[in-house]
Amino acid sequence: MPELTAVYDLIARLLPFECMQMRFMQQALTGLLLLAPMVALMGVHVVNFRMAFFADAISHSAFAGVALGLILTVSPRWTMPVFGLLVGLAIVAAQRRSALSTDTVIGVFFSGAVAFGLAVVSRESSAARDIQRFLYGDILTITAGDIRAMLALLAGLTVFQVYGYNRMLYIGLSPSVAKAHGVRAAAYQYIYAGLLSCVVIFSVQAVGVLLVTAMLIVPAAAARNFARSAGAMMWWALLVSTTSTIAGLLISAQEWARTATGACVILAAFSWFMLSWAFACMRCRAPGSRQ
Amino acid sequence: MTCACDSDRVAVMFENVTAALGGTVILEGVTARVPLGSCTAIVGPNGAGKTTMLLALLGEVPFTGGIRIPPSDEGRALRIGYVPQRLQFDRAMPLTVMEFMVMGWQRRPLWFGVARRYRERARQLLACVKLEGLERRKIGALSGGEMQRVLLALALGREPDLLVMDEPASGVDFQGEHIFCELLDVLRREQGFTQLMVSHDLPTVTHHATHVICLNRKVAAEGPPREVLTAENLTAIFGLHMGLVDSSALPDGKSSCSSACCTGRDGHA
Repeated sequence: MPELTAVYDLIARLLPFECMQMRFMQQALTGLLLLAPMVALMGVHVVNFRMAFFADAISHSAFAGVALGLILTVSPRWTMPVFGLLVGLAIVAAQRRSALSTDTVIGVFFSGAVAFGLAVVSRESSAARDIQRFLYGDILTITAGDIRAMLALLAGLTVFQVYGYNRMLYIGLSPSVAKAHGVRAAAYQYIYAGLLSCVVIFSVQAVGVLLVTAMLIVPAAAARNFARSAGAMMWWALLVSTTSTIAGLLISAQEWARTATGACVILAAFSWFMLSWAFACMRCRAPGSRQ
Repeated sequence: MTCACDSDRVAVMFENVTAALGGTVILEGVTARVPLGSCTAIVGPNGAGKTTMLLALLGEVPFTGGIRIPPSDEGRALRIGYVPQRLQFDRAMPLTVMEFMVMGWQRRPLWFGVARRYRERARQLLACVKLEGLERRKIGALSGGEMQRVLLALALGREPDLLVMDEPASGVDFQGEHIFCELLDVLRREQGFTQLMVSHDLPTVTHHATHVICLNRKVAAEGPPREVLTAENLTAIFGLHMGLVDSSALPDGKSSCSSACCTGRDGHA
């Protein structure tokens, strides 16, 4: 992949830290930089439409994805995204047809997927190492193939968001009003859920199952405190997620830190959130500017 | 005031509509008409299926039977504007009134701003519902009445042939409700749409409706408010209490309303 090599060299030149001269670090940063806009774009809708639990369910279905891989003797690289996608679409389908509340629907799928995964994995002692990787994430082992897959996903997702960002806001506010006013809500909901599932599965690799929801929510939540409009919220989310991933990776590689990359990324985003919170509080207190 | 309704033509025809949710029959063989150009009100007690009737029309609940919506004069499908009873949303969400208005029209994502022509159109519609200068306000900071009017502006932005409203003035104080209904009367006459609304507020209905459907799972009565909102009918569908309230609201079987719009309608009818 000559074009990727060019990107890696550029990263090495732009970030002249000792740690960034290593190829696996350059690859990790490329992966994170691809992930950052995806989580920012998807996170805005996740936060505004309270879909955090949905993201949680998909990330935990990664367990079941690994388990399926073991049963079918297929690499979890394939079974994880496919299974995550199926779970995501199934949740949307169930929500649309069922009178149960969203939380209950998701909760049922969620526990089913996790239980299945644990049941299968508990039979195989060799799988324990894999499980650890999924819990904490391991961005440093990202491959060129992963990066290419993420590039494709980012392209698809950007097309969808450019085409549908406004309509997604509409549907998020009220599916019935949007539908009555001629928006094809079902199509948007399914495509969004499918893309979100893919983003979540890739994020599992970066930050681990435990922190994947944070990756989607924290930048968007900080953006919400900073922004005064839905348009600005996207830019803020992008700024927070991109800076957090770069800072997180650099900090995790320092001699004095030597921490898990995913955790550092989330901590950086969390710092942004605290800052945004203080900012929002100050704005609320400022007289005459109640928004 | 003249009623633009053409009593022979219908905007919507409900034909033997039956709907059940979770095994409970909510609508039972409902046959009713919404005359073209009318202000039709669906009245009935709680649980009568009023909202379900609207949702069936909007395709949100499954039903048996038929809902016929004849195409407009130009031969295209009828455009519907919908104002829900209340919008449940996250009040902390940073969405301005301007963005809210244009999100259904503008394809270009809002991160790149709002195009000038849409901005102008949104301003006009907001002026139409007497909300000038609120474009930059977050929707979470609007009062209940303001939100209902923004929702009305959003629906009007569709240039609807049929405006469907579910308790449009619920959660609005009496003064606000009066303004809301006056506004609708003016807009309906200007733009010539058919208005279909759910209400359990009888004074509002007697003020503004030209056609009434009394619903209590089945259609109890249908027709002009004067003929339908009689003490006997109301007692039959609401029970004794509402019948008593009504007889004081409509003494001698006549409209007790003295406002300009109603005395005008007296002359018409």
